[in-house]
Amino acid sequence: MIEDLFFIEKQAYRESLMHRLDARVKIILAFAVIIAIVAVPYSIMVYTVGATFFLFFLILWAVSKLPLSVYGKRLVAIVPIWGIIILFQIFFKNKYYTDYHVLYTLPLGISIYTESVEFASILAVKFLISISFIILLSSTTKMQDLLQGASRLGLPAEIALALGMMIRYLFVFGYIFRKVNETLKTKCFDAFDRHLPYRYRLRQLGYTIGTMFIRSYEQGERVYTSMLCRGYGRESHLFITKKPLRGFEWAFLIISLTFIIAVPVTIWLTALRFF
Amino acid sequence: MHIPDAFIPIWQGAIYWIIALVFIALALRWARNEMSEEKIPLIAVVAAGIFALQSFNLPVSMGTSGHLVGGALAAIILGSPFAAIFILTLVLIVQGVLFGDGGITTMGANIINMGVIGGFVGFYSFKGLMAATGNVNIAAFIAAWLACVIPALACAVEMYFAGTFPLNEGLVAMGLYHALIGVIEGFVTVVAIRLIVAARPDIVDFKIEFPAAKGVDV
Repeated sequence: MIEDLFFIEKQAYRESLMHRLDARVKIILAFAVIIAIVAVPYSIMVYTVGATFFLFFLILWAVSKLPLSVYGKRLVAIVPIWGIIILFQIFFKNKYYTDYHVLYTLPLGISIYTESVEFASILAVKFLISISFIILLSSTTKMQDLLQGASRLGLPAEIALALGMMIRYLFVFGYIFRKVNETLKTKCFDAFDRHLPYRYRLRQLGYTIGTMFIRSYEQGERVYTSMLCRGYGRESHLFITKKPLRGFEWAFLIISLTFIIAVPVTIWLTALRFF
Repeated sequence: MHIPDAFIPIWQGAIYWIIALVFIALALRWARNEMSEEKIPLIAVVAAGIFALQSFNLPVSMGTSGHLVGGALAAIILGSPFAAIFILTLVLIVQGVLFGDGGITTMGANIINMGVIGGFVGFYSFKGLMAATGNVNIAAFIAAWLACVIPALACAVEMYFAGTFPLNEGLVAMGLYHALIGVIEGFVTVVAIRLIVAARPDIVDFKIEFPAAKGVDV
């Protein structure tokens, strides 16, 4: 995962209207969409809500001027594991349906149910929308801006300080991780090489992980000491300047939030009237 | 084990978040009282290191790979389950918000599984086994194995409550897969602890010397 760190941050340093938007607006929008789509019951109503939100996402992605390949690359890194679990849903019954109809029967008596296929697709839509907005948020907002935005929104000072320190050193450890991997490669060590005894491979990885832990601890000690030298103490906290939202950002936030709330509510009310 | 959004209904996600927040508050209190508040930056940098060491692919079998969770390692070395909660909360926030690994509405459940359950199980099983056997290798191996398997089972139970995966199949699939990964997590944790005890015995909270640690081949 840490390999993607540099790629994600590189995208966040691009220039666009979406990139320039205050981090608070993007955090609120992304979280609002995720909460809204998750809050929609597991019903076919999700298709319409999901399609509308995905259109909204595509518009915002286009405004961000990021290539679609960036979205694709990041999606591919996230989807596979949970994609398989979504796929497995087609074989199982769940509590959201009472009647099940066999769509197809496989050998060994394994059945695929119509309702389970529907449930899997509902889950897939919810998952895709949530992931898409997280990708949009992190691809258009620098990590430091995300932290400052979250702090301005009320993230506790202690967590903000700890997260700030962590984010800063993620890149240091990203480089260390690369170096360690390159060193292992120059020594022709491959953890997946079957010619090497399994126990030996695990031991080497254990030493590498232990070394990484010690390096991080020692880095922490150095940082802590240098912070003390600069007057860091119990009352210290991350300094965040006050930054009021601009008129355009307020307008965008209010219109978008109204849209995010109105879409599921309208579709739900429409569904109640007609079905 | 990182449950994404959509796999847990919003109201259940809210309950897990409330429980997680209680433990995060306790972890912050631990950091203030036990470590002295000034040392929070040190733990934050260690969290960045744990994030990096989670990126090492460990060979499982048949070409598949897994990675270390690190909760047991952090709890054992730093001497408190709250260390694991604190560190894994930071790691899960970064993973969820930046990488999309684990959801926002499900982050409470993920913190409970990997931070709270993983940390407590890892730390107290290590402590109990140390008292019973006096053997750090056995204690650390079993503690790390349990800290990998039990959170995975908790994850299966949560998904059953959510109605997104059947209980038996979930327990069998998650249990078997993580039992296998847990063996590797256990082995790697033991090797890592031996190395840390040999190189920096002062940072290890449990005061035990490995007879073989003097000659660790790095």
